[in-house]
Parts: sequence; structure tokens; C-alpha cells
Amino acid sequence: MSGFSPNWLVVPVALPLFTGALLLFIGRWGFRRWLWLQRTLGTVALTLNLAVALAVAVETIGQGRRYVLQVGLWDAPFGISVVADGLTAIMLVMGGVVALAVFPYAMATLDYHRERMGFYPLYLVLVMGVNGAFLAGDLFNLYVFFEVLLMASFVLLTVGGQPAQTNSGIHYVVLNLLASIIFLAAAGVAYGTLGTLNMAQMAQRLDMADPSVRTLLAGLLLVGFGSKAALVPFHFWLPTSYHTPPPAVTALFGGLLTKVGIYTLFRSYTLLFPELLVAWQPLLLTLAGVTMVAGALGALAQPTIRRVLSFHIISHVGFMFVGLAVAVDIYRLAPGFGLAAALLYLVHHMIVKTGLIMAGGAVELEMGSGRLASIGGLAARRPLLATLFFLSAISLAGIPPFSGFIGKLSLLQAILDAGHWWVVAAGLVASLLTLINIMRLWQQSFWGRYRRPGRSRVRPLEEPWRRTRVLAPLAGTVLLSLALGLGGERAFGWMQVAAQQTLDREGYIRAVAPHPTIPPLDKLPQKE
Amino acid sequence: MSAIPSLPASWVLALTVGVLFACGTYLILRRGQIKLLLGLGLLSHGVNLLLFGSGRLARGRPPLFLDKESFQQALSTGALEQMADPLPQALILTAIVISFGITAFVIMLVHRRLTITKMDVVYGELVPLLRENDPFAPEENLASRAQPPYDWLAYEVDPLYDREDLPPALAEEMGHTQEDTFESMEEEAP
Repeated sequence: MSGFSPNWLVVPVALPLFTGALLLFIGRWGFRRWLWLQRTLGTVALTLNLAVALAVAVETIGQGRRYVLQVGLWDAPFGISVVADGLTAIMLVMGGVVALAVFPYAMATLDYHRERMGFYPLYLVLVMGVNGAFLAGDLFNLYVFFEVLLMASFVLLTVGGQPAQTNSGIHYVVLNLLASIIFLAAAGVAYGTLGTLNMAQMAQRLDMADPSVRTLLAGLLLVGFGSKAALVPFHFWLPTSYHTPPPAVTALFGGLLTKVGIYTLFRSYTLLFPELLVAWQPLLLTLAGVTMVAGALGALAQPTIRRVLSFHIISHVGFMFVGLAVAVDIYRLAPGFGLAAALLYLVHHMIVKTGLIMAGGAVELEMGSGRLASIGGLAARRPLLATLFFLSAISLAGIPPFSGFIGKLSLLQAILDAGHWWVVAAGLVASLLTLINIMRLWQQSFWGRYRRPGRSRVRPLEEPWRRTRVLAPLAGTVLLSLALGLGGERAFGWMQVAAQQTLDREGYIRAVAPHPTIPPLDKLPQKE
Repeated sequence: MSAIPSLPASWVLALTVGVLFACGTYLILRRGQIKLLLGLGLLSHGVNLLLFGSGRLARGRPPLFLDKESFQQALSTGALEQMADPLPQALILTAIVISFGITAFVIMLVHRRLTITKMDVVYGELVPLLRENDPFAPEENLASRAQPPYDWLAYEVDPLYDREDLPPALAEEMGHTQEDTFESMEEEAP
């Protein structure tokens, strides 16, 4: 047994938080706000964060174990439970990868005025909120971490205060705030009916509680988390806001934020309402199918690069959600196949979408405009960027040597195995539309005659230090995607371990071990 | 209290929560930004009251014990079941602090938007491009105002896509200037 103790689970929350606070102090004084120091410290913190996340992943997925930290040794429902299992570990690692990849890109593409307004501290606080949401074992702590990451994202979205940013900021803030209020109402209902907010204990008590309680809670959580994840009827905040901030912020948001919603949906539905995954399956499948097709269709109508890419996020959220909808079906292939396929798709999506938004943002900065009708011909001038964009794009569309193929294949296999052929049809249509969209992006921005309609304040591919910081993370994401595609079998094995751990409710409850002697607040509404 | 003796306190609480939610929902559906702010405030008050009610309403019962003796006494007489629940108050305090911070942020956001756009109305995606008040306008751009300043963050009006979102007066005001700028900067004639 290695020297891993559950105490390490604090690091992904504490390290970005304290580094962010330190950067705030540093950024207050010093010549040009000591930006070089902020950048260095931020990179170090994010690297350490990724290292700890990898250690957690090795311990949980490699050993098939769960780690629970009861902070201050208070028993489960009273103290703060920090829980890490395979699902958490995958999310932590991927969050760490995305955060570390976008950080140098942000250094290269942001202008001084935005960097000076506390960009780097906010970046780290956002990472802290995301990590905390992955680790929370308690509904209210989950809410608090959600608010932390939302606050940081509000400011990152509007830093600079440009007209478009403030306008889209209002849409983003209000719709996300509504989702948070619904989530908080769910927490209130849970405490009022079940007398606990600890998720393991909620799972225990939901088995005894009245079915109406379960329906109400599941509905509220579906709306709340579904809005965070940008499922289709609740997705309107995403395409109005993601194209307005600097490209680095879009890349970070596109890689991280909606995935937190997906994670919480996976966690809450598999742990709290596994019966509803069967009973509500038609609803969930419909939501997923509509999300897939609507996102891809919406992207077809968009005029600029980042608008197209943000609609693709919605489409792919549908792909991940369909894995949850078929999570508890019986498979001939392997138990938990559907969820494992969804996790693989999630990993693929986080890598590739971040890379693609970074590449698209670089094109926008290079051309001074993201409008597809007025740009063109970049391939001859920036061949490396063009290559990397192309490789990310075909990975997103699902062309074989890359991870998109293996993700889509396993997911479609799972859905077909469960017998929902029409969802497969929707998925294939969405994939085709994605391919069309991606080729449209490629053709309009890289082929044709060279047209550069505008001037941007920062041209990231002009100066060598900016060029490395833009192209290196891009190349990293492409290589990761290729590695995931080539080593798909092994990666799928890890995902299966994580999926089986996620579906094992009893194991989760046993690991958290909520204190049994405390009676419910007053008499629970009993099942007849 | 004596005026409505038949109505239990929990009903009053539930009705209040419902009314707050209804008013908040109505207000955030309005166009005005100040109404939006008020609506968000009412909604968060509503959900705070809902949390308050989740611990059951109790009068004259202690939420905590100051010494071990009274705790033992309560434990032996079975009064522990009757004690008031302190947890919802902690939850509400947290929620209040969070909603306070977010409300402060939204007020500043609305203020900033008001100073830029001079309108108190939330319209689709459109914001007019007024650059006079931009504190982020860099000096080098000021020096070289000869070429049209392009900021990749600034809003682009797409004639095909955004025309419906424009309020009529602004559509005329902004006209085709953006479009013309783009075409004049193309390196070859179409």
C-alpha cells in the first residue's frame, strides 16, 4: 500500500484556493502586477493539482477502492464528507488537464488589461469550485461549490466589461442563478422530508420514503443540474454567452462547466434514484435525443466559429446524457457498459472540445473576426494551426484513429444493445451534422483566398513566445485524443471500473457510513 | 395571531414562499433590469424561507444545549425529539451570504450595462457598440485612430443573424457601418 491517505483529497480544493488568494495579494502590488509571478505560481499550482488528481485516479481506479475523508473526524451526516471514487477521479483528472492546457493559452491570448483585473486568481478559484463539486459528498456542500464556481465564472465571463460581455453576462447570470435556486429548493425539500443532506444517507432514506418525495426531488434535480449541463430545454444560457468572452475563457468554460452538470446528474441519479432511471427512461432518452439533434442543428445556423462550437457543446451533452439514460439497462456486453461508454465520451469531449475552442479562438484572433463568411485562407499562412485544428475537428466528428470514434462507437453499441434504435438514429444524424459543421468551419476559415477582415489587439501567432503557448497545449490535446483513440481498450477498462463503482450504491453508502443512530427529523412519510 | 387562529404557521410560511416565488418569476420575466434585480431578490428570499421551513417550525424549544446536564435531562425525558433543529439556520445563513454576494455582482453588472448602452431594457443579444466609455481602450489604438479600431471582443452585428434582435431605432442608428467596415478592410475586392 502506498502512502496515499484520504487527507490528500483536500488538496484539489485547498491548493487552488490558497494559490488564488496568494495571487490576489501579489497582484495588488508590484510592477505590472507581477504578472510573471502570477503566471508561474498558477502553472505550478495547476500542475500539482493535476498530479494529485492522477494519484487519486491511480488509487481509486487502479485499486478499485473508494476514499472518504470525514473532515475533523465528525461522523458522516454531521461533518463534511469528501468522497472520491472512480467517477470523481476521472473528473478531477480531466478537469486538471483542461485547466492546465488552457492556462498557457490564456497567458498568450489575453491582453494586459484583462490579466491585470484578477484573471489568474479567478481562474484558480474556478478550478477550486469545480474540484470541490466533484468531491462533495453532501448536497449542500455541492451547492456551495457550485456557487463558488458560478461566481468565478460570472466574473471571468464579464472581465473587461465590453458591451457584448455585459449583455450576455446578464443572460448567463440570471439563468444560472435560477438553476441554483431550483437546486437549493431541492436541498430544502430533501432536508424537510428526509432529514439529511448527506448523499449516502439520502440514498438510504429514499428507499423508505414515499415515492412522491423521490419524484419531486428527482424532478427538481433534473431541472437544476440539467440547466447547468445545458440539456436542451434548459440550454439557452450557453449559446448566448460563450462567444463573448476572450477565447481562453470560452475554452475553459467549454471544457469544464457543463461537465460539472453532467457529473452531478450522473452522481445523483445513479446514487439516489436508480429506480427512476428505469421508470423515467423514455423521458431521459427523449431529452438526450432532442439535445443531440437540436445542438447540431443549431450549430448549422451559426455565423461565427465560437458560436458553432458552443452549439456543439450542447449536442455532445446529449451524447453523454444518453449514457446515463441507459446506465442501468441489462447488457450482454458487460455490466455498466452504458455508463462506461458515456464516461469515455465525456473524457474525449473534454479534451477535444477544449482543444478545438482554443484553435478556433486562435483563428479568430489571427483574423480579427470569427465570422465565417468574411474570413478564409489561413491554411497557407499558419500551416501548423491548420493541421492541429483539422486533427481536433475530425476527432470531434468521430473519424477513426482519434478518440471520437471509440467514444461514439462504444456509446452507440451500448444504446443498440439496450435496444433503443431511434436514439442511435438521432445520434448518427447528430454526428453527420457535426461532421458537416466541422467541415464548414474548416473550409471557411482555412481554405480559399486569404481574407483577413479585422485587426485584433493580440495576434498570438506572431511572436514566438505566444506561438508556443498557443500551439503546445493544442498539440497536447490532439496527442491525448490520439492516445485515447489508440489505447481505447485500456481506457475503456478504466471507465468500466469507474462505472461499476458509480453504480454500486451499497458500496458508496458503506464507504461513507452515515451515522445510523440518529433518527430522522420527525417521522418519515412511510411507504404503504 | 388571534386574527387568524385557524391558520397554522406552516401554512402561512408555505403561502409566503409560494407568493414570493410567483412574484419573483413574474418580475424576472419583465424587460426592465431593475425588475430583474428585484425578481432575483424575491426568488432567493423565497428559497431561503423554504429552507427555513424545512426544519419544522417550533416555538419555545432550544436549538442547542449550553451544558451537559440539560442535555442529559432532555435525553432522559425524551425531550430531545422535541428540540428545534439548528441546521436550517446555518443553511440559510450560507445561502443568504451567497445570494448577497451574487446580488451585489448583478447590480454592478446591470450598472455597467446601463452606462454603456444607456438602456434599461434587456434585448436579445444586441448591445450597441459605444466605445467612448471604454476604460480598456488601449493607448496605441487611441494614437492610431486612422485605421478603424477592431476589438475581437466587441460585438459584431451580423446582418443576417441579428437584425431581428435590434430594436428598431438602434437598427437604423447602427445601420450598415459594421458591414461596410468589414468590406473596406478585405484585402481583395469581392
